[in-house]
Amino acid sequence: MIEVSELSKVFHHKVALDDVTFTIPSGSVFGLIGPNGAGKTTLIRTMNQILKPSKGTIKYRGVSLNAVHVRSFGYLPEERGLYREMQVLEHLIFLGQIRGLTKNEAKNAANLWLEKFGALPWSNRKISALSKGMAQKIQFIGSVLHHPEVIILDEPLSGFDPINVDLLLEEIKGFKVQGKTVIFSTHNMNSVDELCDEAALIDQGKLVANDRVSKLRSNHKTGNFKVRFRGSKIAFAHALWTWFELIECLELSEGIYEAIIKSRGGYQFNEVFSRLSDAVQLELIEEQLPVCMTFF
Amino acid sequence: MKNSWLLALREFKERWNNRSFRWMLVLGPLLIVGSVYFLLESGNQGVSTMKVLIADPADLMEGKILSNPSENVSYYFYDDYIEMESFKTSPKFQEFGALIEVNEKVLINKKAFLFYRSAPSLALKMKLKFDVERRIEEVMVAQFTSLSEEDFRRIKQPLNVDFRDVEDPYSQFNQEISWVGFTLGYIMMFFIAVFGTNITRSINREKSNRISEVLLASVRPHHLMMGKIGGNWLASMLQLVLWMFIVGIGLLVLQQFIIPDYFTPEYLQGVQVSGQQMKELGFDTAVQQNDQVNLVYHRINYGLLLPHFLLFFLGTYWVFASLFTVMGAVSGDASDGQQFGIPVWLLLAASIFAGYNAMAFPDSSLTYFFTYFPWTAGMVAMVKLAVGVSTPQYFSLLLALLLQIVIGIFLVVFAGRIFKNGILSYDHRNSWKLLMQWIKKE
Repeated sequence: MIEVSELSKVFHHKVALDDVTFTIPSGSVFGLIGPNGAGKTTLIRTMNQILKPSKGTIKYRGVSLNAVHVRSFGYLPEERGLYREMQVLEHLIFLGQIRGLTKNEAKNAANLWLEKFGALPWSNRKISALSKGMAQKIQFIGSVLHHPEVIILDEPLSGFDPINVDLLLEEIKGFKVQGKTVIFSTHNMNSVDELCDEAALIDQGKLVANDRVSKLRSNHKTGNFKVRFRGSKIAFAHALWTWFELIECLELSEGIYEAIIKSRGGYQFNEVFSRLSDAVQLELIEEQLPVCMTFF
Repeated sequence: MKNSWLLALREFKERWNNRSFRWMLVLGPLLIVGSVYFLLESGNQGVSTMKVLIADPADLMEGKILSNPSENVSYYFYDDYIEMESFKTSPKFQEFGALIEVNEKVLINKKAFLFYRSAPSLALKMKLKFDVERRIEEVMVAQFTSLSEEDFRRIKQPLNVDFRDVEDPYSQFNQEISWVGFTLGYIMMFFIAVFGTNITRSINREKSNRISEVLLASVRPHHLMMGKIGGNWLASMLQLVLWMFIVGIGLLVLQQFIIPDYFTPEYLQGVQVSGQQMKELGFDTAVQQNDQVNLVYHRINYGLLLPHFLLFFLGTYWVFASLFTVMGAVSGDASDGQQFGIPVWLLLAASIFAGYNAMAFPDSSLTYFFTYFPWTAGMVAMVKLAVGVSTPQYFSLLLALLLQIVIGIFLVVFAGRIFKNGILSYDHRNSWKLLMQWIKKE
C-alpha cells in the first residue's frame, strides 16, 4: 500500500535518512522502531510531505504520494499542541474542516468521538481548562476525526497517562479490525508485540531490519534474559550452572534481585524457568530485545 | 485556498475573542473624538467675562480702548501705579477681575503685565491681548511716525509668497493638507506595526504550544502563512473601518450638536475681530485653531483619500506582514527573534521619515525613490494624494501600488521558505547563517 523506496534526507550535511526502503501492507499495523535521533520522525514527516526527501520516492496505492493522499491521512505528531483559547468542539471542527470535512460532518464526527471518550460534557470548555489526559484525548480525536484510511501516530504513547495508553491501544486495535493502515513509532516494545503485524527497525537513519514482528524477535535474539527473583543470590548463581552466564545482578530491595543472564546453549524461556524455579522465587522472566530495541 | 480562508477565520476569531480587542474597537475612536473635544473645549475653559482695571500712570492710552465695546469685558482706567499686593487685598479693587499694568516703558520694551484673580478663557485672553496691543500700536504710530493708522496697517501686512510648481501652476501646495496625508500614513504604519506584531506573536504561540506540526500535516506552509496574514488583515480592516466610521460620526456630532460654535467663523466673534485681523496681529493660536477646523471639515478630500488609504494599506500591509511572519518563524521561542525584528522596525521608521521627506522635499530624488520603495510607498502616496496629484503623478502612485503587490508575492515566497523551515524548529539558536540556509533550502 505504501512503498518507501531508497528514501534519503539530508539536513545541512547531516544524514537523517539513508537509503531507506520498505513496504507497508494495506490494513496492517506497522511499527517504526528506533532510538531517539534514529530518523523515525524525519521519516514520518516525509511521509506526511512536511519534509521533501533529498532522494527516493514514496508511493501510495501504486502512485507517487501527493498532497491529496496526505490530506486523507490521520496524523498525530510527536510534538503535540492545541489552541488553548479555543473551545473543544470548535477546535475539533476546525481540525476536521482543514482535513476536508464540512462543518456539519466535522461536528457530527467530533460529537461521536467525544461521546466515545466520555468527553462530551467538555465540548464547550476551553482547551486551557482541560486536564492533560483530556487534552491528549482531544489531540487523538483531532487526528482521526476525518475517517482516515492511513493513520500515522508518531510516538503516540509517550506523554500519555496509563489509562489513556490503554484507551489508545484499544482504538488502534479497532482500526486494525476496520482494515485501516496504522503506522506508529514507539518506545514500548510490548505494544509493538501486542499490536504490530510488521515493524521496521531504524538506527542512525538506516533501516536495520524490516519484517514481521515475530520474525524480527527470533532473528535478532540475543539469548539474554532479564530475571527478577526473591531469595538468595548465591542459590541463584548456583542454579545457573553451566547453562547460563550471569551478566549482572542488582539488588532492588532487601532479598529481591534483578539479573541479566545469557543462555550458553540456545536455551529458551521454559528452560530458564525450570532451572531456576527450584532455587529462588521467580517474579519475572523477560527475553531481552534485539540490539536496536534495547535503546528504548 | 480554502484552508487559508479557514485559518484566516480562525485567526480573526482569536482576535475577536480577545476582550481588549473588542473594547478597543469602540473605545479607541471614542478616545480620539474625546481628545478632539477636550482640545477644542480647553480653549473655552476659565472666566469668560471680566471687569478689567488698566493702571496707566503715564496716561499713554488716554483712558480709551478703541475697539468695539464688548459684553464680555469692560475696561476701567487708573492714573497711578497700583501695587500688586494692594490690588490683591484692597476692597476698592475687589470688583475687578484683572489688572493690566501699562507703564511708560511699554513703548520701548513692549511688555505689559496682566494680573488675574481667576484665569480668563482662551477667547477672553485673546480679546484682552488684542485690545491692549491694538491701542498701544495706535499710540506708537502717532508718537513715532507720520503715518495714518490705515497706512500703518497696510504696511504691517506680511507679504504672501505663494509657491507654485511650474509644471502644475494651478496646484496649490499646502503644508497643512500634506500633514493630513502624513497623519493618515502614520495611522497606516501604526496599524501595520500593531497587527504585524500580532502575527509574530501568533506564530510564536503556535510554536510554543506545538500545534504547528498538526497544522502542517493538513495544510501547506504558505497556506498557513497566508492564513495568518489574512486573519490579521481582516481584524485590522475591521478595526480601521470601524475607527474611521466612529471618528467620522463623532466629529459630525461634535460639529452639529455639541460645540457647533467652534466650527463657524462666528467662533472668533467673541473677541469681535476677524481671523484675518487676528493673523495680522500675530494671534496665531486662534487662527490656527479655526484653520484646523476648516481643514478637517472642509478641505480634506475624503472621497479621494479614504479609498486610496485602504488600497495602500493593503499593499503596505502585504509587504510588511510577510516580514513579520518571518520574525515569528525564525524565533526559537516567544522571547527570541528580536535581532531579526530590527530591520523590520527600521523599515517602519524609514516609512515615517519618507512621509516627512515627501512633505518637505516633494520633488527630491529621495522622495522619488521612496515613492516606489515598497515599504515606504504607502506613506509617500498618502502625502502626495493629500496635497493633490496630477494625472502622471497619479499613475506613478498606481505603479508603486502594483510594485508593492508584485514584490509582496516574491516576499511571501521567500518568507514561506523561511517559515516552513523555521516553524518546525524549536529552541534553536538564531543566526543569520541559519536564516540564509532556510532561504536557500527548498
